[in-house]
Amino acid sequence: MQPKLTAKTRCTDGEVGTVSKVIVDPLSREISHVVVRESNGQGADRRVPISQVQAVPNEEEIVLGCSSEAFGQFPVLDRDAYVTIHDVEIAHLEDHLHVEPGEILVPYPRLERGVPRRRFFTNMTHAIGTLIALPLVFPVLKYLMKPMYKPFDNSWFSIGNVRKIKKENIGYQFKFQKGFQEAFMPEQQIEKNIWVVKATPEVQKTVYGGKDKKFYDHKGNLIWMNKATSPYIGYSGKCPHLGCGYKWRRTKNFPDGVFLCPCHLSIYDEAGKVLDGPAPRPLDVLPMQVNAAGEVQVIDIEYKAGVRNQVRLL
Amino acid sequence: MNGQSEPAHQPNAFEKVVDFVDERVGLKTIQAKMLNEPVPGGSRWAYAFGSCLLFIFIMQVVTGILLMFYYVPSTDHAYASTQYIIHEVDYGWFLLSYHFWGSSAMVVMVFAHMSQVFLWGAYKKPRELVWLVGLALFGLVMAFGFTGYLLPWDQRAYWATVVGVEIMDKTPIIGDFMSRFLKGGPTPGQMTLSRFFVIHVMILPAALMGLAGLHLFLFRKAGPAGPFRGTPEQIKAKTDYFFPRQIWKDIVAMASVFLIICSLAFIEPVVLLEEATPDPGDYHPEPEWYFLFLFQMLRLKIFAGEFGQFLGAVAIPGAFLAFLAVLPFLDKNPERNIFKRPIALIGWIAIMAGILIFTVSAVLNREFLH
Repeated sequence: MQPKLTAKTRCTDGEVGTVSKVIVDPLSREISHVVVRESNGQGADRRVPISQVQAVPNEEEIVLGCSSEAFGQFPVLDRDAYVTIHDVEIAHLEDHLHVEPGEILVPYPRLERGVPRRRFFTNMTHAIGTLIALPLVFPVLKYLMKPMYKPFDNSWFSIGNVRKIKKENIGYQFKFQKGFQEAFMPEQQIEKNIWVVKATPEVQKTVYGGKDKKFYDHKGNLIWMNKATSPYIGYSGKCPHLGCGYKWRRTKNFPDGVFLCPCHLSIYDEAGKVLDGPAPRPLDVLPMQVNAAGEVQVIDIEYKAGVRNQVRLL
Repeated sequence: MNGQSEPAHQPNAFEKVVDFVDERVGLKTIQAKMLNEPVPGGSRWAYAFGSCLLFIFIMQVVTGILLMFYYVPSTDHAYASTQYIIHEVDYGWFLLSYHFWGSSAMVVMVFAHMSQVFLWGAYKKPRELVWLVGLALFGLVMAFGFTGYLLPWDQRAYWATVVGVEIMDKTPIIGDFMSRFLKGGPTPGQMTLSRFFVIHVMILPAALMGLAGLHLFLFRKAGPAGPFRGTPEQIKAKTDYFFPRQIWKDIVAMASVFLIICSLAFIEPVVLLEEATPDPGDYHPEPEWYFLFLFQMLRLKIFAGEFGQFLGAVAIPGAFLAFLAVLPFLDKNPERNIFKRPIALIGWIAIMAGILIFTVSAVLNREFLH
């Protein structure tokens, strides 16, 4: 039979009070004390060792083996020396206790008493944790960011001969292999392509607007100038919408042919102008030169897709 | 106990070991707590989606680990090693195809699970956090699909990544940094493959395990929502424990899912396209089917131009996810019956129909391009 937290407490010579709290040993998980609130005098909570409990005749009552005078000698409970079991985690405590839920107490270590002291240690723990993490942020970020930004490659390389271009204002694809060396990897040959149009003067005018197109390096120095009257115009093979590869296609609506991107169906004319679809800007014109023998050389610039203005990536 | 009339049971060696462990771990308590969870209103087939997701995920981990025995995450070996798995390694084609179809099954099941929770009104108080963690898990599943797609390093893989990362790039302010960070450079290459690999096989599984654990913990803490119809007395009368009826339904559902994925792996095993290269050749880039609706949406004229793209690729999907995240805090009406929540029902139907229409039109557009 388990005493209720309101059980009346009798001594050998009469009733002294009621049980108000129970104190548990956190290791053995056994009840070590009952706290009895005096029914007379100050109504103090007295801490009575469990060994003093002689009998529990019924649920409403416990019997102590001492006199009421001896009861008055038991120490008054120092409430601050204890915390409730809601404040601490004691595994399977409930499995061992069969008391009506009330305030169940365990001793509060002396060193931990006092709020300022606890707060100090909490703050110190957080501060030291932060001091461990903080110096790592920058190195880790730099470590991960190492390959993100690369200098631009402004070298020229040959992609083929303009002999294959038979008609004006038609897109011809020039496929080429490009050596690509990345970090620790051996150099790999990757396939790329550029579209070249032999443009009539009107188309040249649409593309260049009568002005030479200048290309700069990242410092702002001029690296090349496409003449406004040069007939051969090279477009980067990357669709300015979201970076797919577009093709020169004849469709029902455009029997003469247009550049069509199969991804999101952007359509451009031979001057690179957007005719239809979601593209935000015309095709990107590359720096290109054609020598007397008809060899085409380009600088393989890649611009960011999906933005109105050209932002160079490569 | 009457020890005289009946000889006391002598535990055998196995029982002794079990008792020894139980005394120190509390296995029986854990098992009892796991199995003896009351399911209000009784077990249902509709509650099997979450368990199926867990099952599919475990199978993805198992097949994924097996694939890593041969797969090499480098641009000069990824394609060859994947081809080797498909064509040379015994049952490699099956494990790879199972992993491939498993990812689709995961997405389908996530949609089913979220729909069920939404229609049952189970995201409402006090299950707001279960729903929020669930949304984060949904994001992880999509990220799994996206990062895993690149690993075979064929044209399909490469172009889905090119376009996917370009879409991320459209996020204001941090977009450029994010896409460079993911690509490990200005254009996709070895660094991209390395990063996607690490994310796919380490970061996402760890995150998913942690969040799935939290999801289950929060779910157990709040308890199952139960049916949206019936008085408390009726629900209480039908209530039974998770074990055995719900577990039976779950295991049958898992077996069905397993058989479906196996059949798909047999009927449509994975076939790679040509090795990845920045020239798409004749390949028409397209994402995996569960991203098709978004892909098709970006073809619309209203999502043209720089702002249109931001709207279609980032703002609308982002706003929709944000809306789902705040849904349990906005929708304070305790009514859970979907037939008494017309806006929720119509909204759900409209979104599902929208996704369906866009997906179908993306498929129809393929014909037009050939």
